[in-house]
Amino acid sequence: MLSIKNLHATVEGEEILKGINLEIKAGEIHAIMGPNGSGKSTLSQVLAGNETFTVTQGEVLLDGNNLLELVTEERARKGIFLAFQYPVEIPGVSNMQFLRTAVNAQRQHRGEPEMNAAEFMKLARETSKQVDLDPGFLKRGVNEGFSGGEKKRNEILQALLLQPRLAILDETDSGLDIDALKVVADGVNALKSKDRAVLMVTHYQRLLNHIVPDFVHVLADGRIVKSGGKELALELEERGYGWLGINETAAAAS
Amino acid sequence: MIAAPRLSSSFLQASGHALPEPLMALRKQRGTALIDMPLPTRKTENWKYSSRYLKLDDELATGLPAAGKTGPELAVAGYHVVFHNGVMVPEASDYPDVDGITIQRFADLDDDEALELAERLDNTLDSNAVQLARLNSARFEDGLYIRLKADAVLDQPLYIVCETDASTPGSAYPRIYVDAGRHSKITLVEEYITSGAESAMVNTVTEFALSEGAQVTSIRLALDGDNVQHIGATGARLKNNARFESHTVGFGGPLRRHDLQVRLEGPGAECVLNGVVVTQDKQHYDNHTTIEHVAPHCNSDETYRNIAADESHAIFNGRIHIHPDAQKSNANMSNKNLLLSTGAEIDTKPELEIYADDVKCAHGATVGQLNADSIFYLVSRGIGRREARALLSMAFINELVERIPVEPVKETVQARLNLFFEQTFNEA
Repeated sequence: MLSIKNLHATVEGEEILKGINLEIKAGEIHAIMGPNGSGKSTLSQVLAGNETFTVTQGEVLLDGNNLLELVTEERARKGIFLAFQYPVEIPGVSNMQFLRTAVNAQRQHRGEPEMNAAEFMKLARETSKQVDLDPGFLKRGVNEGFSGGEKKRNEILQALLLQPRLAILDETDSGLDIDALKVVADGVNALKSKDRAVLMVTHYQRLLNHIVPDFVHVLADGRIVKSGGKELALELEERGYGWLGINETAAAAS
Repeated sequence: MIAAPRLSSSFLQASGHALPEPLMALRKQRGTALIDMPLPTRKTENWKYSSRYLKLDDELATGLPAAGKTGPELAVAGYHVVFHNGVMVPEASDYPDVDGITIQRFADLDDDEALELAERLDNTLDSNAVQLARLNSARFEDGLYIRLKADAVLDQPLYIVCETDASTPGSAYPRIYVDAGRHSKITLVEEYITSGAESAMVNTVTEFALSEGAQVTSIRLALDGDNVQHIGATGARLKNNARFESHTVGFGGPLRRHDLQVRLEGPGAECVLNGVVVTQDKQHYDNHTTIEHVAPHCNSDETYRNIAADESHAIFNGRIHIHPDAQKSNANMSNKNLLLSTGAEIDTKPELEIYADDVKCAHGATVGQLNADSIFYLVSRGIGRREARALLSMAFINELVERIPVEPVKETVQARLNLFFEQTFNEA
């Protein structure tokens, strides 16, 4: 489904991704782990099409199509979804209006009829319960005044409504207490399907107790230095990154 | 040396309409005072950014004929008064005849009433600051005089639709005076619209005198066409514990000017002034507001937001003047502006003059652009870039639109704004 080959990317002239290779097939869950500053979030942002980053080499194919030729909204309509590490607050645009506009933009792209306000409200309310978010949050401004956990649940709510081909979760576990973590994990598990892939970017192993990955990759200094099965995550939890020759302190400081 | 441009004498020709004698006399007197009035130039401080848009050609001096009649654009519950080129159209108007509330057109006043009105007209506005509003006093051909006795409450909003019919070039001068007695209450919606495509000017003056405890809500929608220069002034004077709430919504045009002057003259008086302006293409809009804190223990709260697209130009000038006796004044002013293109211009100027020492006065003005992170967040969900920008622009002002206390007016405004942003971003 997603094929990343020798991907290099820079921000403000500094190279952050230095040759990423990754193959993800439909139905799979991949986890990317690595110390702070290794390029995990950059990879997520580059896949979603954030123009702050410049791709200097390599290619990314989604279902055989060149993803890098598409602008952000086109990527989203082809099925890329990024759950943000820091979801943006947008006062003045209600969450309901935002969600309906997004769902209808994607439906329109697929040639499906738009959902009317009443239909959509019903769907959004049901889905918000699935991520344990009070439907009252639908009336508020997008993420406006939401706690960290509420923002993350709102991201998962969006993923459930948009039903992407590839859901990229950028540090979705950060800042969550254990109950919120379970809710978010349940939401992600509900996304699992044979037609869909999930790419989780995380610093810690704890999310992987609740969402079991098929593959774990270690990212360090802009490259994937080791790949393995779910047991690799446990090994990292026990041994840290040092045994892989990664100086975590130095990487974190960069 | 080039002589400063002066108001053409053709603007001071008396109109043919008959009004009660005291009003005819007032008009004549105001006209005489305007002879050889210098027109504002770049060097005129309160017209600094706008004088270049003002084009008072001789052809605009002709009073537009008040012949046709029109229906109110807002077909909503409430009372309606329709003005066609500054003259009331009784057939299209529908307002209550209830105890304590008198709504009359100027032409129908008896001499005593007309004398009373003539003494009141212009007394809410500082003539030095609103020079061109005085042209209205020299030229009005009719008007609406609303009086509310003590404790009278108008149970529904009164919509006043002022249509400028520019089938031929010329000018119109709608005029409104509201005398709100003690503890009376009224909501007034003024809507300025255009028909016809010739070049025209509409010059409006609306005044409110609020007695002790009176509550007036004024909603003003400037929706004139691109062929019309709109020069408007609103004045309000408040006695003890009176409350004046104003919502102005303006769409840009070749020249758009609104002066709003509020005087807090009795302790406990309060005003809330909200304003929204959007401009596109080469349009212009200039809001000048003045709040005079004359008496102690008064509150003012002012929030204006402008959005300028394309090569348009929006101006906000907000003056707060706290007089020496106005201790314990509490004044808040905020003006936020959004520039949608590099060719657009916004000028904002808060002016604070404080002569009392025990006051709370806060003000802030910002000019910014749409937030790139917010746009990225929206488009990352598949929302188109234009739609994302429209959503964010609407969000910038919607908080103020939501405060409009008359639901159908709020909905009309939201629909028009959505249309405006659709146009703005589709052309981009």
